[in-house]
Amino acid sequence: MNLENSAHLFRAKPNAARRAERGIFWLFRLATYVVLLSGAAVFANIIFKGAGTVFKTEAPFINTTFLTAAPESLYVFEWQGQKREMGDHAFRAFKQQHPEAANVKAESFVYSAGGIFPCIVGTVLLVLGSMAIALSLGVCAAIYLNEYARDGAFIRFVRLAILNLAGVPSIVFGLFGFGMFVIFFGWNVSLLAGWFTLAFMVLPVVITASEESLKAVPKGFREGSLALGATKWQTIRKNVLPYALPGILTSSILGIARVAGETAPIMFTAAYVVRDKMPWEVEKFSDFFLQGVMALPYHIYVVSSKIPQNEYTERVQYGTAFVFLVIVAVIAMASILLRNRLRNRYKW
Amino acid sequence: MSQSIPTTKPDHFVIQKKKVQFLGLTVDDCIKVFFGGNAVVSIVVLALITYFLFREGAGFFGQNRQNLMVYRQAGLEYVDFIREETDNHTALTRYLSDLRLRSLNHLVQQKGLSPEAAGASLAKFDEFAGQFGEAVDPVRVILSDLTETATAIKTKFIVNEDKKEERRQLLAEGKTVEAAAVRIVPVDFNAELQPLRGTLPVFKAANHAFANTLTALLNQVPVLPAPELEQRAQRFQALTRDFLATLPLVERNLETWDHHRPVPVSQTITAFVFGRQWLTASFWQDWYGIVPLLVGSLMVSIVALALAVPLGVGAAVYVNQIASLREQKIIKPCIEFISAIPSVVLGFFGIAVLGEALRLLSQQSWLSWVPGFPFSERLNILTAGCLLALIAVPTIFTLAEDALNNVPRSFREASFALGASRLQTIIKIIVPASLSGIISAVLLGLGRVIGETMVVLLCAGNRIAIPDFTNGLAVVVEPVHTMTGIIAQEMGEVVRGSIHYRALFVVGLVLFLVSLGINFMAQKIVRRYRISIG
Repeated sequence: MNLENSAHLFRAKPNAARRAERGIFWLFRLATYVVLLSGAAVFANIIFKGAGTVFKTEAPFINTTFLTAAPESLYVFEWQGQKREMGDHAFRAFKQQHPEAANVKAESFVYSAGGIFPCIVGTVLLVLGSMAIALSLGVCAAIYLNEYARDGAFIRFVRLAILNLAGVPSIVFGLFGFGMFVIFFGWNVSLLAGWFTLAFMVLPVVITASEESLKAVPKGFREGSLALGATKWQTIRKNVLPYALPGILTSSILGIARVAGETAPIMFTAAYVVRDKMPWEVEKFSDFFLQGVMALPYHIYVVSSKIPQNEYTERVQYGTAFVFLVIVAVIAMASILLRNRLRNRYKW
Repeated sequence: MSQSIPTTKPDHFVIQKKKVQFLGLTVDDCIKVFFGGNAVVSIVVLALITYFLFREGAGFFGQNRQNLMVYRQAGLEYVDFIREETDNHTALTRYLSDLRLRSLNHLVQQKGLSPEAAGASLAKFDEFAGQFGEAVDPVRVILSDLTETATAIKTKFIVNEDKKEERRQLLAEGKTVEAAAVRIVPVDFNAELQPLRGTLPVFKAANHAFANTLTALLNQVPVLPAPELEQRAQRFQALTRDFLATLPLVERNLETWDHHRPVPVSQTITAFVFGRQWLTASFWQDWYGIVPLLVGSLMVSIVALALAVPLGVGAAVYVNQIASLREQKIIKPCIEFISAIPSVVLGFFGIAVLGEALRLLSQQSWLSWVPGFPFSERLNILTAGCLLALIAVPTIFTLAEDALNNVPRSFREASFALGASRLQTIIKIIVPASLSGIISAVLLGLGRVIGETMVVLLCAGNRIAIPDFTNGLAVVVEPVHTMTGIIAQEMGEVVRGSIHYRALFVVGLVLFLVSLGINFMAQKIVRRYRISIG
């Protein structure tokens, strides 16, 4: 038998069943790539159109006004045969310079000029505060669940609560925060109310992530320490937490992406449509916590549905969406990459 | 000299167990209690959510009962009987005008007449339609008079309630003199309703004349140019006859109507659960029925899942079973990355791009066979559903992939050893073995979609109405409003403590319970149908 010329003995012959298999595999592949492509389409659209607002063609290439100024109204008017577009401040200065322009007819477009600096600051403040609360609560809860608790009815109940908390819609958290912090505690629309609402929302993510990292620390570490006479707390502090902490922090970054991205919980608890003062311009220190802030996601909502749409609003819409998406994407990417690297780092 | 030998105290060999006690607990116990307290937080939060939703929402049912009571006592219900009659008549005239449009199209396109000539040949029909439309006018005059009367009574009542509230507040502040000065004239509904009920004979006469006119007109329906149009004319006649049959019923309703009849407590709940109208800030009567919102939420979720389940599960199977290792390593983080796109950005994308793109696509002539195409509303169930699918896919993908991953290797190997192909192994072994996990993944995806706010708020069209299911699948291109959307939209504008405010909290409560139910089901399915591996 001439093996070299004929096909391999065990090679399957091409037949209808194999063709069908290939075809169906291609369907699965198609489904996967449809998902990836639609995700990419959203990204590409926002990035390409938003880049026009955030970047400029001349140096320094970045539109610093957009990133560092507060939103203001845009005035469009005709002046000496030329069409002029100016922000609120510039328009007033222009009128003072040219007294004859006092009565010029100008169309105004709200929020279409200036920048989004207060929104960026507000989002950063919201994220920092709520993550601080969520991390301290979540890590402690995870330590209890993983280190102290023995399996029993109580622990099962706690786990059930965590699981269910993860499924509660964000708008319900918003309602809850409104009912409890804004009205019952009388904090009004404030940073503090937003912090707690967001912290409770992200709590299940942080607990799950922390527990996973704690579990990854081998049992031998604890047993060795206990055998040397250390107390439980000494063991946890010296021999468990240091090894779990990087994992806890990186996994929690995913929680940051969630906190930064949510709009519904802060709509009635922390976000203002517009605020002239920056958050640090407060009279008393305590006022800092009881002030509302502007936030990027809420600003996107406002400019994309609450104000009349026209050619001038598109600029600020895409610009805000671009900045927001880039911030969230960088956070998420960092989290995913760091987690993948960390998984391979400690091998016990 | 014996005393010169130092007696060494071996203190560093003694194990010192000095226990600091605090409330009977050692330090370690205290630390444990502290951590335990943090673990309880999630239970506490869940309890607090339930408590505050109930606290703010519970008052709704009492207030809604009063709302319904006023509706009856001020005679609004009485007037609405007549209004329903005229509304039904309006629907009939709309049917007629639709018929005219169809006839015109038929004449112009099939018979090749010029639009003017076609219009002229329909003159007889126009005359008929005009007469049919005008027949209701006397009834309508009575209706508008009664509307004013009833509104006046209701206003009186509301003013009275406001004064009562004012007095209560003054009394609470201890200002008895001012409180006594607030004059409250109780509304005598019997007397106030007298003029309303007094119009019954007049209405009856008008109604008889109306019925007679319609019956007479029924015999002179003009002949239409095509058989299918003739069929519609027949249908119109049947509908009119049905309508005529309801007229005596209206009269009987009016006669037997009694404003003293109390509103049962159960009706406040049924009015919410089965109420087909969500109508707020109306000058006539506010309705708080959850059905249109619930149906909207469900429709959007169904469309989203119909897209997301094949894509998410398909992608999970592909990545877990078919793809090469390198492909896996790229695709998994990418899909996880999609889940990081904030929902408000997706919603904005829907408004700015997808809505318009879908509408343009629907207007392509080669796609006209798709139900509902072409459509003109940019924002509708379909637009919101497509975007929500993108939100649900990562959730479904990640969990389903996990479930597939948990199927033991030996299952696969055994299947191959028996000579099954890869496809057979996947379809007959791997997927069934992980089915419970996949189903719970889909359920959790549903939970994610139903609770999503910003996308539906921006892209679902925000029309509070039950979509028209008579068109079959074309229902997916109608705009709707959802439970999450209505809370987000109206919460900022309502007065604290008002019935509207409380109604929104009750909607939130429903949403909360639905999400808990979905979660519960997902867990139960995983636990019950998990195959024993070992």
